Amino acid sequence: MPGLGTSLSIAVQALDANQGALNVTTNNIANVNTPGYSRQVAVLNEAPTFQESGVTFGGGVTLEQFQSIRDELLQLRIYEETGQQGNSQTQMNSLNQIEGIFADPTQGVGGALSAFFNSMSQLSTSPTDNNARQAVLTSANNLANSFHQAVSSLNSIGTGLDQSVPQTVGQINRLTSQIATLNGQVAQMQGLGQEPGTVQDQRDELIRQLSGLLNISVTQTEHGLTLTTANGVPLVVANQSYALQSNANNSVLEHVYSAQGQDITSQIQGGQLGGTIQVRDQVIPQLFTQLNTLASQLATSFNTQHAAGFDASGNAGQNFFTPLPSTTDAAANFGVAITDPRLIAASSDGSAGSNGNLEQLIGLRNQQLPSGANPMDMYANLVLQVGNLGANAQANVTASNLSVQQLTDQRSSVSGVSLDEETTNMIRYQRAYEAGARVVTTVDSMFSTLMAMGVTT
Amino acid sequence: MRVNPDMSGDVLAAIWKTQSQENTALQQMSTGKRVNLPSDDPLAAAQMVGNQAQSDRADQYLQNIDSLTSQLQTADTALGSAVTAVTQAITLGVQGSTGTLSDANRQQIAQNLLGIQSQLVQLANTSVGGAYLFGGTATTAPPYTLDSTSPSGVTYNGNSGTNTVKVADGLNLQTNMPGNQLFQNAAGDVFGSLQRLITAMQTGIAADAKSATNDLRTAFDSLTGQRIFYGNAVNQLNSTQTFLQQEQVTLKSQANNLVGADLTKAATDLTKATTAHDAALAAAAKILPTSLLDYLR
Repeated sequence: MPGLGTSLSIAVQALDANQGALNVTTNNIANVNTPGYSRQVAVLNEAPTFQESGVTFGGGVTLEQFQSIRDELLQLRIYEETGQQGNSQTQMNSLNQIEGIFADPTQGVGGALSAFFNSMSQLSTSPTDNNARQAVLTSANNLANSFHQAVSSLNSIGTGLDQSVPQTVGQINRLTSQIATLNGQVAQMQGLGQEPGTVQDQRDELIRQLSGLLNISVTQTEHGLTLTTANGVPLVVANQSYALQSNANNSVLEHVYSAQGQDITSQIQGGQLGGTIQVRDQVIPQLFTQLNTLASQLATSFNTQHAAGFDASGNAGQNFFTPLPSTTDAAANFGVAITDPRLIAASSDGSAGSNGNLEQLIGLRNQQLPSGANPMDMYANLVLQVGNLGANAQANVTASNLSVQQLTDQRSSVSGVSLDEETTNMIRYQRAYEAGARVVTTVDSMFSTLMAMGVTT
Repeated sequence: MRVNPDMSGDVLAAIWKTQSQENTALQQMSTGKRVNLPSDDPLAAAQMVGNQAQSDRADQYLQNIDSLTSQLQTADTALGSAVTAVTQAITLGVQGSTGTLSDANRQQIAQNLLGIQSQLVQLANTSVGGAYLFGGTATTAPPYTLDSTSPSGVTYNGNSGTNTVKVADGLNLQTNMPGNQLFQNAAGDVFGSLQRLITAMQTGIAADAKSATNDLRTAFDSLTGQRIFYGNAVNQLNSTQTFLQQEQVTLKSQANNLVGADLTKAATDLTKATTAHDAALAAAAKILPTSLLDYLR
């Protein structure tokens, strides 16, 4: 038969266990707003029983551990969608800037192109009018400026993106090195049979941040997690992190290299870094190609027709635009070759009053260039393309935001701290503690009774 | 079942969504445009490039018509005066071919005819803004100069070139008629007949005067016939102007269909979004602050 001492020690265990459990509740409440925090529960177990005189007595309660409640699979889905979200958000931000260049049909290359052809139309009504000739040169220079402006706007957006590459790579390296440290700790604690809850929360939150920067693949091993890029370039293995490097290679653009020195720039597709690289290396060059094709083919076909006419002095037409035989940097080099308005080859018969060649030049507006479309349609295609890219990015942002929101909600329903739940637990542990304390006082008074037995009054 | 205990994320997402709907509706109402960036409607934005170019072009065609109309009217007025002058010359020629005139009278008529000749040369050298209207495409120098050595009494310095100007898509209008075609064509030669009449008056050969007057009549018919070209051109410009003005209205309404905001719809959308926004805020205000703690004492 166990004595009063046993009751007292069981009661003290109850006090300890419930106070410990209250600590968990306190910690949960304290971290209710901590990003990435997974709620913990106190795992209470019966203490080992003992036998006396053939009767088995309960040994009280032990606080086994604090366990974090988490869903690993959900966490992986969150990484994946966060990568998508980072990518589309970055693309949308840049594309919105790019769209600004092509937004107003009365401005930019489209407006200037239209104005240029119209100034020639005006000149065709009085081919010898020097003011009208000057107006053609002015609008041609405006057209050149609008090409240059589009080029420099696109360039500055590209440069901004390029400059963000090393910054993002730096961020990635900081995160992977922190993750590696935490990953080592998690593995160590798990090896010792400890619950790595808090450390794991911190690590998972950092991985979530990392997944917003580039697409990663997460594998669980016995030494903790292994993080690689989607193409298998290692980032974190056990407690070791592998820093990416960024470097401007022989071109002016920043390239990304694995720790082994392999160029992985084109493999990075997800996350902020992927979005940046896609806009920088695919979208902007594609737009440049179209602008350059337009500039080069327009200049070439215009010059050819211009040479077929005669200027105000009756001489054969010279180059009107600076010749652009190659499309490389054609938009940037687009320029007007003549400065004397009398050199405009308006005439088709050599007389100053003829506007025959002007009519042919104006006709280029509706003529297919070698690209298969007339100049205005080529520009309209460019606008269509920019618009489609922007609209796609916008739709992707909406979709990935929704996914991330849903997954976060789902995660929260598993791991999130509910204040109502914690309050309920608090009351439960408080009551249990009170009852345990009452047992202690009761045992105390029983001891007093016992002591009084030997004393005569 | 455990549910997501933290509603703040969903509540914020709902508030942002309704707020962005409000912004969109408000932007459409304030700009009057549905498409402010190409991504709002890529196809419409691309079509707007064509629409804008066509509308700019129509504006330019209207300007072309304005400048051409004044040129053509000046030419027509000059030709009108020329017709009057030739009529006078014919009247004088009829007087001079009767054969009953004194030498002095004939010389007088010859003098008058010389005056008409130089008046005609002046009219044939009419210019607008330094460009001569009847020199073909050689517009920088006067097309006609008096030349007593020439059988027609004048030299034509112009050419036979004509200009056409686009005044609408697919409509190239001829804008000039060279002087040699107006005054000296195969059907009749105003200057040649006039010169022969002058010579006949000076020499006093009545038969020559009669035949020269008849030639002048033929040349007169030819000139008035050629003059119709200018009247027709002006008429064509007028009707093209009307067409272009209509086209501009059509293009504007097309542009409005492409990128313009449907204001009624935008206003309805705004009301809907505001209602949804209010509802989201009200729900947030009701849900977020409550917890079990409110009920524990």
